[in-house]
Amino acid sequence: MADLSHPEEILGKAYDLRLIRRLWKFITPYKRLFWFAMLLLPLQQAFGLAQPYLMKVGIDQYIAQRDLGGLQTVGLLFLGALAGETVMVFFHYYLTMAVAQRCLADLRAEIFSHVQKLPMSYFDRNPVGRLVTRTTTDVDVLQEMFSSGVMTLISDFLMVVWIVGIMFYLHVELALVSLALIPPMAFAINFFRVKARHTYRQIRERIARINAYLGEAISGMAVIQLFAREEKTYREFDELNADHRDAYHLSNVYEAALYSMVEAAGSVSVALLLWYGGGEVLHGVIGIGTVVAFKEYIHRFFVPLRDFSQKYAVMQSAMSSAERIFQLLDTPVTIDSSKNAVVPKPFRGEVAFDNVWFHYKADDPVLKGVSFRIAPGEKIALVGATGSGKTTTIKLLNRFYDIQKGSIKVSGVDVRDWDLQALRRHIGVVLQDVFLFSGDIRTNLALGDRSVPIERIEKAAHFANADSFIRRLPEGFGAQVRERGSNFSGGQRQLLALARVLVFQPEILVMDEATSSVDTETEALIQDALERVMRDRTCLLIAHRLSTIRNADRIIVLHHGEVREIGSHAELMEKQGIYHRLYQLQYEREELKLAVQETEPKVYG
Amino acid sequence: MESMGRLKIYLWRYWRLYLLGGLCLFGTATLVMWIPWWIREAVRILEEGGSLRDVTFYAAIIGLAALAQGGIRTYSRALIFNAGRNVEYDLRNDLFGHLQKLPLAFYQSRRTGDLMSRVINDISAVRVMLGPGVLNFVNAPLYYLYALALMLSMDVRMTLAALAPFPLLIYAAAKFRGRIMKASLDVQQQMSVLSSHVQENLSGMHVVKAYSQEKFQTQQFVALNADFQIKSLDLARLRGIVTPIMQGINGLTVLIVIWYGGVRVMRGDLLVADIVAFIAYLNVLAWPTAAFGWMFSLVERGRAAMKRLEEILNTQPAIASPTTAVPVRGLKNGVEFRDVSFVYERQSNGHPALEGINFSLPVGKSVGLVGRIGSGKSTIAQLVPRLFDVALGEILVDGQDIRKLSLRGLRKLLGYVPQDPFLFSTSLRRNLAFGRDVVSDEELQHAVSIAKLDRDLEIFPRGLDTVVGERGVTLSGGQKQRATLARALVMDPPVLILDDSLSSVDAQTEAEILQGLRSFLREKTCLIISHRISAVKDADEILVLDEGSIIERGSHDQLVERGGVYAELYQQQRLTEELEQI
Repeated sequence: MADLSHPEEILGKAYDLRLIRRLWKFITPYKRLFWFAMLLLPLQQAFGLAQPYLMKVGIDQYIAQRDLGGLQTVGLLFLGALAGETVMVFFHYYLTMAVAQRCLADLRAEIFSHVQKLPMSYFDRNPVGRLVTRTTTDVDVLQEMFSSGVMTLISDFLMVVWIVGIMFYLHVELALVSLALIPPMAFAINFFRVKARHTYRQIRERIARINAYLGEAISGMAVIQLFAREEKTYREFDELNADHRDAYHLSNVYEAALYSMVEAAGSVSVALLLWYGGGEVLHGVIGIGTVVAFKEYIHRFFVPLRDFSQKYAVMQSAMSSAERIFQLLDTPVTIDSSKNAVVPKPFRGEVAFDNVWFHYKADDPVLKGVSFRIAPGEKIALVGATGSGKTTTIKLLNRFYDIQKGSIKVSGVDVRDWDLQALRRHIGVVLQDVFLFSGDIRTNLALGDRSVPIERIEKAAHFANADSFIRRLPEGFGAQVRERGSNFSGGQRQLLALARVLVFQPEILVMDEATSSVDTETEALIQDALERVMRDRTCLLIAHRLSTIRNADRIIVLHHGEVREIGSHAELMEKQGIYHRLYQLQYEREELKLAVQETEPKVYG
Repeated sequence: MESMGRLKIYLWRYWRLYLLGGLCLFGTATLVMWIPWWIREAVRILEEGGSLRDVTFYAAIIGLAALAQGGIRTYSRALIFNAGRNVEYDLRNDLFGHLQKLPLAFYQSRRTGDLMSRVINDISAVRVMLGPGVLNFVNAPLYYLYALALMLSMDVRMTLAALAPFPLLIYAAAKFRGRIMKASLDVQQQMSVLSSHVQENLSGMHVVKAYSQEKFQTQQFVALNADFQIKSLDLARLRGIVTPIMQGINGLTVLIVIWYGGVRVMRGDLLVADIVAFIAYLNVLAWPTAAFGWMFSLVERGRAAMKRLEEILNTQPAIASPTTAVPVRGLKNGVEFRDVSFVYERQSNGHPALEGINFSLPVGKSVGLVGRIGSGKSTIAQLVPRLFDVALGEILVDGQDIRKLSLRGLRKLLGYVPQDPFLFSTSLRRNLAFGRDVVSDEELQHAVSIAKLDRDLEIFPRGLDTVVGERGVTLSGGQKQRATLARALVMDPPVLILDDSLSSVDAQTEAEILQGLRSFLREKTCLIISHRISAVKDADEILVLDEGSIIERGSHDQLVERGGVYAELYQQQRLTEELEQI
């Protein structure tokens, strides 16, 4: 136990203990099943350990006495023990796995639902792939802990205790001789554990380094090739790879040595048993059967010790997976409904930004004191050059991010006091890149709300001019949407997004118009649908279409994170300020094109 | 079986380790097998009432054999497992080397995560097959044959009786193997359904949040999760049945030995010592028997993994140096595009990205490219270093088709600054020096000052030794672009290609950089692509692209005078500049 003085070791133990305690919370709901499974363990082992004892009885009492009837009885008992053990092993394993699968399913669900609550800023920072790994691979590693890690360690421990007990019951001195190698073995195993802990950590670090390097090289392959640095990169990779191999070579030697040593110690113990037990037999103190039984017990005693290194490795990687999982679960949910969240009634589609300051990165404000008011039913076009803060403004309205200063009110209530879900239900969002989920069209339009009647969905699609192309599909509303909606054109996706808004009937519409061009026919359909969608709603639109700004009641001009001009198109044009220039830059061309198109269909020969 | 062919090459490379490991396995097996024999001798002495000295003799032999066995076994395991790790190492290196040869088009058609999981998981499956797999494959028949021979030499009838349940065992193994494989495939499939759901949910998180779909998404996940749980439990049930059945059958053989042996001992034609030895042999066989199914699944998994790796390893690099490559020694005349057309593979409509492009870039001159997004500017830039190959026509360097040149030589001529700045997660110094083996501090400083990165470096506490995050995330877009520019300048290449590489740099700084570059570029050849007119207006020739064709060409003044698309772009540019100054 000398290693306890090692601070890192103590820390490691305390930490592992803390992790196990947290994992235990997931087992708690299935406590009964768990304890029931655990209860089968001593039964299973009793059936198993009865077998060598029956051998002893059979050999010493019946075979030696030539008692055929007795031998038969022992044989039947042996068969019974065998059957009992087989059944118990099955039930113990199955019940353990049932507990494991259930609590891991809970853990997976908890990770998933926790991730749903994390703020958008979290997803800006963390790649999707990493989060997927947390819910899948890392939980899988924990399953291994159940099937071959901690559970078997417990059963191994119990087994060892049983065997020692039985041995001492049968013959104290023989037990002492048979177990004489235990102290040096314990020392060796502990030595291994300390050594291996370090090597395993090294291995994990090195494999992580290889994977990081590989991922980076794959995503930066063009750079490597352009600079003709394949050889250098290969050498670097080779170095990491070799380091990893070497660490494993070392751990292989440790594991092989431990395994072989335990095997050898088992045989040496048998030799000791034969030597001392042989004397006892020759003196007539014990029968040969006792020696045979002891030999069997020694065998069963050393198997768990031999497999210790494997289980130890499983435990180690399970602990680091658990650590990563809990780290994710401990990520605070910074944007959530407050305790006294309200749902203002009746809802008025009124929006007010009051001196709003916001930044993604400190010292780099995106919005600098933005203030404006939108009356219920008013249509507002938000214009500005790239980077002026338009997209940020609409993301703040439904609280994707929290602002640092000022206030944003919807229906007269600060968005931070709103019930988050209710707030977002009142605001319909259509973004430039329309995201569709895999599933059918119906699910995409109702977004999984099964209570929405199909009539409402069909009506919405009809109003959004989407039903004509949907009906042309062989499965109609049941047509499958492929990943990210790749089987629909950009224009069709926009129509579907508008239909989605109509299904939900939000009082406020927020839209970032798509810039990608669509054919004239679809464009006409979109404009027509958009007009209908905007009717009777408060609208805040990042306008890219000339028609949108023309139809807006007011235009808000954002420039470098500040509101610089507000007014109608005519007023702002007269002012000859920022809007005037933006108009010339972004919209005038479109106007010209429209004019040309009407008279002469082709611009360039 | 093809995939096994390549594996053989690796196996051969380490034949010494495998052979030595195999010999050690043989040695271990021999000692393991003789120990029960000596136990039998010792027990026989006890049974027949011999002397303690004789028993002690056998006990000593067993003890010595055990120690020797411990030593040899260590070697056998370490040698074979290490050989497996060596193959893993070679395979991973070879795969990495091959990946480096594959062109950009390969990476555009695959997801990084997918490639990563192949390299990681598949290689590990192959390694398990070649380490633990090989060991067990050698050990199992060795143990069986050895044990069988020794048992038969003791007593034929007893051997046959003891092994009577074995057909049952083989039947059970065969029956369950198929079912377990199917069940574990189901589990894997459900797991990939589960991960795609998570993947999609996370990618569409803004929609999920905007429409308050968190609960529904979680419900869907929970349903898939429950399915996964059921499938996992099905698998657990099968596995849970197989292991105890195998153990049970093994126990049955022990029972037969005791029962049948006991009866024969009573009859006097067998010794208790024989029973003891038989039980010991059956104990030795317990592990290879239990591991039977496991062994086959290792091999099956390893072979499937190797097949997937082969798919990558057998992908011929579409862009490579020709076998008799013309070496490249500097640039004398210049670069020329002759009737170049290009179509992206992934573009299903077959609309060419470039069509009939003709222009020349003589040494010491510069050509500017402007045009809308998607007009084909970047494609032209990417064709010069052969990131893609032309579909029709040719690109000439000093009159030679670039496809005839040494690829390495060609790329060494070019300093290419891509649109999307990619930096490695290491120090800025190492990033800037990426293209060369040795770079002096002065050279670095020079490049840094032209790229106007010096002011930023002053702010960074560790200067050039600042470590940038993954893909350079700790830097701003403009800083990243200027760093990639400096990286190209450090190479001091005869040709510089700027692929809209200052798009995130503000106009003011861009002007300063271009000013500084001018002196650097005096004797360089330069292809500048930009969405800003200011960047190209001093070029010797400006090409205006639209939908893959050159629609206008000439000097800045000529083009402005012409009053076409370029003139319009120029007008817009001026408006934007005015706007920025407000």
